[in-house]
Amino acid sequence: MKMTEELWLVVAIAAVWAALAAVYALVPSLGMPGYVRVWGGGAALFLLLAAVLAAAGWTARRG
Amino acid sequence: MDCISTPVATADTRPRLTARLAALPRGDASLFRLLFGAALLALALGLAGGFVTALARARALNLFGDDAYRVLTLHGVSVFFYWLYLIQAALLLVLAAAENGRGLALRPLAWLGAALMLAGFAASEWISAIGTPLLYDGSPELAVDDPRSVGVFALGYLLLSAGLAAAAVSGIATLLQPRRRGEAEAFSAIGFALFAWAGFLIVSAIAATNAFLPGLLWALGAGPFPADHGTEWHILFHNLHYLPLMATVLVWYVLTQHLTGVTSIHGARLSKIVFAAYLVFVPPTSLYHMFLEPNLSESVRVVGSLLSLFVSVPTLAAFAIIVSSLEASARARGATGLFGWMKGLPWRNPAMANMGWAVVNMLVGITFAFVLIQEKLAPMLSDTFFVPGYFHFFAVGVLTQTFLAALMVILPALGGGALWRPDLLRRMPALVTLGLLIFGTAGIAAGVMGVPRRVFDVGYGGMAPAAWPVLMALVGVGATLFAVALSVSVYGVVRTLLSRRAPATAESRRVDWTDGQRGVGAVPAWTGPLSVAVLIATMYVATIVAFEIIQSLPIVAIGGGHGH
Repeated sequence: MKMTEELWLVVAIAAVWAALAAVYALVPSLGMPGYVRVWGGGAALFLLLAAVLAAAGWTARRG
Repeated sequence: MDCISTPVATADTRPRLTARLAALPRGDASLFRLLFGAALLALALGLAGGFVTALARARALNLFGDDAYRVLTLHGVSVFFYWLYLIQAALLLVLAAAENGRGLALRPLAWLGAALMLAGFAASEWISAIGTPLLYDGSPELAVDDPRSVGVFALGYLLLSAGLAAAAVSGIATLLQPRRRGEAEAFSAIGFALFAWAGFLIVSAIAATNAFLPGLLWALGAGPFPADHGTEWHILFHNLHYLPLMATVLVWYVLTQHLTGVTSIHGARLSKIVFAAYLVFVPPTSLYHMFLEPNLSESVRVVGSLLSLFVSVPTLAAFAIIVSSLEASARARGATGLFGWMKGLPWRNPAMANMGWAVVNMLVGITFAFVLIQEKLAPMLSDTFFVPGYFHFFAVGVLTQTFLAALMVILPALGGGALWRPDLLRRMPALVTLGLLIFGTAGIAAGVMGVPRRVFDVGYGGMAPAAWPVLMALVGVGATLFAVALSVSVYGVVRTLLSRRAPATAESRRVDWTDGQRGVGAVPAWTGPLSVAVLIATMYVATIVAFEIIQSLPIVAIGGGHGH
């Protein structure tokens, strides 16, 4: 597996988490703001990890 | 007293896991040994608390009121939080360092993480011993007039969370080092799993902060009473289900490769997808924890029921990959028989025995887990002894035995000396499983009949059904058996950690099925997929049986909003 595939797997994780956070944020009747914080925080974290992976790959290719 | 030594070659082109561990910097090895030691201390404390609790539930001990709930709190806090998370932090760091081959990156951060986790351990144990017993979920509602207990209890978990996050960041940086050195362009399957797992640990630290920071702020007079603790706990609790399972499957991958030389015959790509699937399925499957909320809408219940079906997909997929890879490699080397190929596995190695029996426990535990999460059954069973009856298959049979298996391989390589009495240790997992089967069967039956989960005196003035005390006595018998057998395993691992006896040059009792992988595919390997099919059928049957039994009882489910 090339790094791009690892990258997309991490991005897919972030996307699913962000979608769930959005559902909880946009449907107030669910009444679970904690889910927005945790899944949203997780989505941001995995996006950050995807960026770290991309940067590391860029460094590896340069170097 | 014997020790293990039979050198064999490995499939990996890199040095063997144990060789890479032995080559780690001495400072890193000291950190790992510290974390492993603390984790084992937590396990020993939790095991003692659990044993006393089981004897009290069996009426072999008279333990009521605060004393009973204090012991139960110490049991849950020690095992469910500090054993499982100290060992995960340690395993993440040690396996990441082994992947890197040159030790830890951001070493001071890893040490800071360890210090924070140990501080949390001390705070949690201290307040659990002297404060209001809050059980392991630390519900503030149990101590509205005792803010100190709520605050210190929350502080303990917050320190643990901060430490986990720091350790995870160090682990991520460690995994990326080969890439930064230009030595690798991609992770191995295990490297990617470690990377994803580290991210998941950080998210769980976020969830723990979300759940426990309000309690600390309230105790300090800086915030309102955390009335939503139950809901926030559910989010954390859901993550805490998945994290150790993901770690367990990862350890199975590592140990399978180490003990047999076999890597996935399906390629690293599929393994990476499976490990990513753990994280993809975490949020959507979380709704079933809310089934006990009486005001949850019917539409959310239906959606939650459907999504809950995905909860074990990654674990079963990983199980099928490992088993089919082992079977195909064994058959390529001439093994025959539906299950006969398993005879070639290195069962004389205590790590293999622990891992093998962990798989058996997983198949049993997962069956009843599916019964519990059914939307119609959850309200009836979640506050009964069904819950401890089934989840000890996971907590003890699967997670603890798997992590002990990892320690049996890792500690001798880290300079902990030769493994203590391997011929004795390899016999313990079968006894642990037998004890769990007695404990679990009696506990699940008791739960289905209505025995409450956290009530120590279930006599109800002689009004309780006659079967209840019999079943709870069997619970005590099973708990005694698995507690004693597990204690022997823990003692052996601690002796190995503390040993100064030089380890054997090779830790084997391993097999080398590397050559077999070249002929993979000539003979079908059905055990993995067949096991999954049988398991799914068993889940259906168990669910139907549980539902029919409960329907026949004169009880009404009212829901209580309690956590598991």
